[in-house]
Amino acid sequence: MLERLANRLKERRTELGLTQAELAERVGVTRKTVNTVENSVFTPSATLAIKLAQALQLSVEQLFWIER
Amino acid sequence: MNQRSISERADYLSRRRARMLPALAVIYFSQQVTFLSALGNGPHRGADHFKIGAWVVLSLVLMLALATKGFWLQPKEVRDLIDDESTRANRLDAMRLGFLFACGAALAAYFIAEFQPLTVGEGAHLVLTFGLGAALIRFGILERRAHRDA
Repeated sequence: MLERLANRLKERRTELGLTQAELAERVGVTRKTVNTVENSVFTPSATLAIKLAQALQLSVEQLFWIER
Repeated sequence: MNQRSISERADYLSRRRARMLPALAVIYFSQQVTFLSALGNGPHRGADHFKIGAWVVLSLVLMLALATKGFWLQPKEVRDLIDDESTRANRLDAMRLGFLFACGAALAAYFIAEFQPLTVGEGAHLVLTFGLGAALIRFGILERRAHRDA
């Protein structure tokens, strides 16, 4: 069965009033990487997932989940 | 340079690279047309040596740009940021495809050599051209896709 890492990055980022560039700055990556994670084009490493969750004040499980 | 300007600079350069890579691949391939059409025609003339020299230099620069972070004249912070996680993943993907194309070109060279003699240089030229060219195009496509908003 095909599995996909879904996320609520965009939703949460918008809630906090952050742009992709601002979030990228906080976690130390380029805007492009945030964009690819948001669009589920790129699956982030555990390190980046934790950094993103911390920056968005959520747990990793609240931010990412597996969609089947 | 503050964090904002480092990020903006890295983003700008990353976009520029995504635009430039396919163009570089086209230049690289078009440079090979005359060489490939003259495959198996025997030893090179003087002018060919000049073209081959240009090809070697371009191949080396492209190979270094692909295998390293590139942007050698930029500050370290900018170079580190340009080479972030998704870029490294895209580069690895491109390198994998380049390796497969290089293997395919090596097989093709082996096949061609059954019908017309090829020099070692011509064989190496084929392998490098297709391996490097495929990796460049793939890296460019992946980077452009990564910059595109959904």
